Amino acid sequence: MRQKKNLWWLPAIALFGFFPMWVSNPSYMAIAVLTLLYMACATSWNMFSGYSGYVALGSGVFYGVGAYTMALASTHWHMAPGAGMFWLVPLGGLAASAVALPIGWAALRVRRHTFVVITIATLFIFQNAAFNFSFTGGSAGIALPFIQWNASYYNVPFYYVALGILIFITVVSAVVRRSRFGLQLLAIRDDEDRALGLGVKVAAVKRAGFTMSAFTIGMAGAVYAMFLGQIYPQFAFDPFFDISIALMAFLGGLGTLTGPLLGALILEASQQYFTVSYPYLYLFLYGALFLIVIMFMPQGVVVFLRDRVTKKAEREKAAVASNEAAVAGVAS
Amino acid sequence: MATTSGASSSGLAKGAPINIGISLSLSGDFSADGIAFQQGYRLWAADVNRAGGLLGHKVVLTFVSDASKADQVQTNIQNLIAVKHVNLVFGPFSSLLTIPAAKAASRFGYSMIEGAGGAPSVFSAGLHNVFDVTLPIANALVPFATWISSLPKSQRPTTAAYVTSNDPFTQPQLPVAQKIMEKAGIKTVYNKVFPSEVTDFTPIADAVAAAKPQVVLLGSVDVPTVSSFMQAFEQSGFNPKAMIATAGPDQGAAFLKAVGKANADGIMVPNSWYGGSALPASRKMVAEYIKQYGGNAAGVNADIAEAYSVGQVAAQAIVATGGVDNAKIIKYLHSGVLMKSVEGNVKFNNAGQNFQSLTYTFQWQGTSGTKFVQINPTSDPKSAKPVYPKPAWGK
Amino acid sequence: MNAIALLNAAKDGILTGSVYALMATGLTLIFGVMDIINVAQGILVILGAYLSYALSVHLGIDLFVGLLITIPTLFVVGVVIERVFMARLKGPEKTAMSILVTYAVSLLIEGTLNTVFSVNVVQLQASYVTRSFSIGGVHFGFIYVAGFVMAAVLLSALYFMLYRTRFGVSVRASLADQTSAALVGIDVRRVSTICFGIGVAVTAAGGMIYGSTNAFNASTSYDLISRLLTIIVLGGMGSLGGAMLAGVSMVFIGDVVGTVWSPVWSTMSYFVVLVVVLLVRPQGLFGKQSARVA
Repeated sequence: MRQKKNLWWLPAIALFGFFPMWVSNPSYMAIAVLTLLYMACATSWNMFSGYSGYVALGSGVFYGVGAYTMALASTHWHMAPGAGMFWLVPLGGLAASAVALPIGWAALRVRRHTFVVITIATLFIFQNAAFNFSFTGGSAGIALPFIQWNASYYNVPFYYVALGILIFITVVSAVVRRSRFGLQLLAIRDDEDRALGLGVKVAAVKRAGFTMSAFTIGMAGAVYAMFLGQIYPQFAFDPFFDISIALMAFLGGLGTLTGPLLGALILEASQQYFTVSYPYLYLFLYGALFLIVIMFMPQGVVVFLRDRVTKKAEREKAAVASNEAAVAGVAS
Repeated sequence: MATTSGASSSGLAKGAPINIGISLSLSGDFSADGIAFQQGYRLWAADVNRAGGLLGHKVVLTFVSDASKADQVQTNIQNLIAVKHVNLVFGPFSSLLTIPAAKAASRFGYSMIEGAGGAPSVFSAGLHNVFDVTLPIANALVPFATWISSLPKSQRPTTAAYVTSNDPFTQPQLPVAQKIMEKAGIKTVYNKVFPSEVTDFTPIADAVAAAKPQVVLLGSVDVPTVSSFMQAFEQSGFNPKAMIATAGPDQGAAFLKAVGKANADGIMVPNSWYGGSALPASRKMVAEYIKQYGGNAAGVNADIAEAYSVGQVAAQAIVATGGVDNAKIIKYLHSGVLMKSVEGNVKFNNAGQNFQSLTYTFQWQGTSGTKFVQINPTSDPKSAKPVYPKPAWGK
Repeated sequence: MNAIALLNAAKDGILTGSVYALMATGLTLIFGVMDIINVAQGILVILGAYLSYALSVHLGIDLFVGLLITIPTLFVVGVVIERVFMARLKGPEKTAMSILVTYAVSLLIEGTLNTVFSVNVVQLQASYVTRSFSIGGVHFGFIYVAGFVMAAVLLSALYFMLYRTRFGVSVRASLADQTSAALVGIDVRRVSTICFGIGVAVTAAGGMIYGSTNAFNASTSYDLISRLLTIIVLGGMGSLGGAMLAGVSMVFIGDVVGTVWSPVWSTMSYFVVLVVVLLVRPQGLFGKQSARVA
């Protein structure tokens, strides 16, 4: 099959790369940083949950662990406030993966529906722990070293770090999808028993996918903590975070590569807009938007659009084919 | 970039208004307080404008909602300063949101005068631009504890319970009082923390009741917590000799509505202000509030006064520095100058705490829901006689 | 720590737990019949509480009498939600999609409640709400006892319907296997709609008790739904008896832990119990289908 090479990512990277140069408005930049982090998390979430069909609603655990790793490490090592703290971002990812190992071992032994609820439970366990252990600062949270960069470019370093994380996870997710490992995850999604029958080591594959997906979410959490400069248990281990990234992936198109990216872009932007513009009605509008998308595009926006485009192309192709019935072409 | 030029011009253009930006929680967990704060800020702005504005400039308030979320408050502050070009920013509600807000404002060189971020963590975050007009909360229960400890032996309670929400605002308050009371020989029979997100308080209240303390000190941030405890106490037939809650009973009409007027009798709360305050500015504010929103003096929420005081302190700084240059305002507020507010005197230390603020204990008395009076410190001639021991529930 | 405190905790656990069991039974019934996880159950409980609130404050209708109005109302709400949204869900992603759709529905309801009733917390009031009686030093709040009795009556009624009526046979057949039920001529669509209605209707009763024992607003629903989900998973998803047992035992454990140890660990305790039980029995206490253990 020779197909036109898909190069959508080239203009996308250029667009994102140059974005800070023509947007000087710091509040848009702050929204952009959060949006990029959400895009990365949704993509990472999708790499496991979207591919394998095991919907996790406790990814806030990884985000929170990443955030607390950043906060604890930077304060305990008395790091100078500034760019040096970015070196802790991968550490946040590693800590999240380390936490994901036992959680995955325990939670992935059960059926999908039960898995959803166990992951929710883990989030509350971690939030509670953060509230009540003394090393986490309890309810007062942790104030990170105060980074006093000038306000007009404060967001920019965070933006590029978040963009770097996003590119990293998009590439990883694309590679995984095409790999044997990715096919095994997809096989589990389609029919786990059959995959097992075909010799896929389902338990190991699921655990590996779960742990990998935690890494990027942990890194994003670390960036979030540094960006905000202050963390609290309820904002670091946030149940809304779990639901948000899952919704973003679903909205864009579960299991697709571009779906979570698009879903996060749409949802985060619309949420920011609704919160500020309609403080009283925003939940209603947000819920209505979801319902409309879910009802009319149950496969997600990306799949919906793709189907439209292919259908149109097929119709045209069919028309051409019937006109030139004599010329038998090999359709790709 | 031109975005921060508003901050550096101490001389405002003639006829240009002074624009003040405020991020408040109009939805989410803090929205009840957020909305009360909005009323307080508006009341202040209306008063100032009626008197001809500040330095001849009208005051305009710009509100944005942060939905009680920390990342949203950070975005909002940047939006207010860089996009809406406000001249000053005021604080959000709750210590939780104050730190991210103040950090964001600080990067623009903006001051943040606030009335609802009194947790010790706010003042230890290394911020130079935060000024809290309200009392530093750590010692808020001291007058109460001192009074209880000084009661004659025959009346003095022998046992006490300390129960608090897991919150940076309440948690630091109880140990201070506990130390004083234990020194006076009052035994601690219950001392536990409960999670801030809990909704069913009955088992906790039952456990407190079973310990039969004569005094209950409740670390609460809102009305529902206090009303739930009171209801559960009543249900289990438990009536302490004294009960004080760190916040909730100071919310005026909202508190009465939740607990019922009769049950409020005897309930105490520490604060620096109450609707019955004799300060002329406060009386004027309370009268205006009642004219606009109805009710009576006892029913005015302390949030209103806290927000109003923020405005007053900002106004004095603007007039004294001759404009809205935030660097000058920060310097002025750090200079140790004594200012006035409806909550009393204001004078900031290095960390931005108002160490002039006096702490009182207030108590609901009688069953009419109109008598909310100052009872501590007992040395203050304005303090009324406390209702002690607390009457039975609903009597 | 004394014996009274422990007895109190046990009493609270059983009385409050029974109301949770009632709400969770509705949730697990919906899942068992339709493979749908209704995360709107939490906000529907709050909706039920607000309906009782509106009736008692504006029309002066007693809380218990008001149930005659609120239970049928929520039944209709459930039927409408099922017909409009749930009926469209099909295919292998049905359960996952149902979480999303019902979450969106709950956002709609939450937004509406915030607008109509404001975010100020309220509590249901009636003269008997604070009354209590005492047996051997243990106080029994009237409203808690009433909640327990009501939950017991409604659950018995549900059991009667399931095991003593023709409709119950269809429901149980659908619970066991939808495809076979359809093959033997059961109208699975109708059964689903009615079960969804029943599952939602119990929130009216649960919400009334919840609203008179807790101060609430729309966002209280998140705490509720996380508890209810935990309960049905512990009991075994789709198992009615499991939901009941798990409902009572979870609240019981939480309350005892809160009394003996500290309230901060009580919320955590039932999540820990859940994880531990599932490690030993991945299908939950009474779950029927065998889990995949690979």
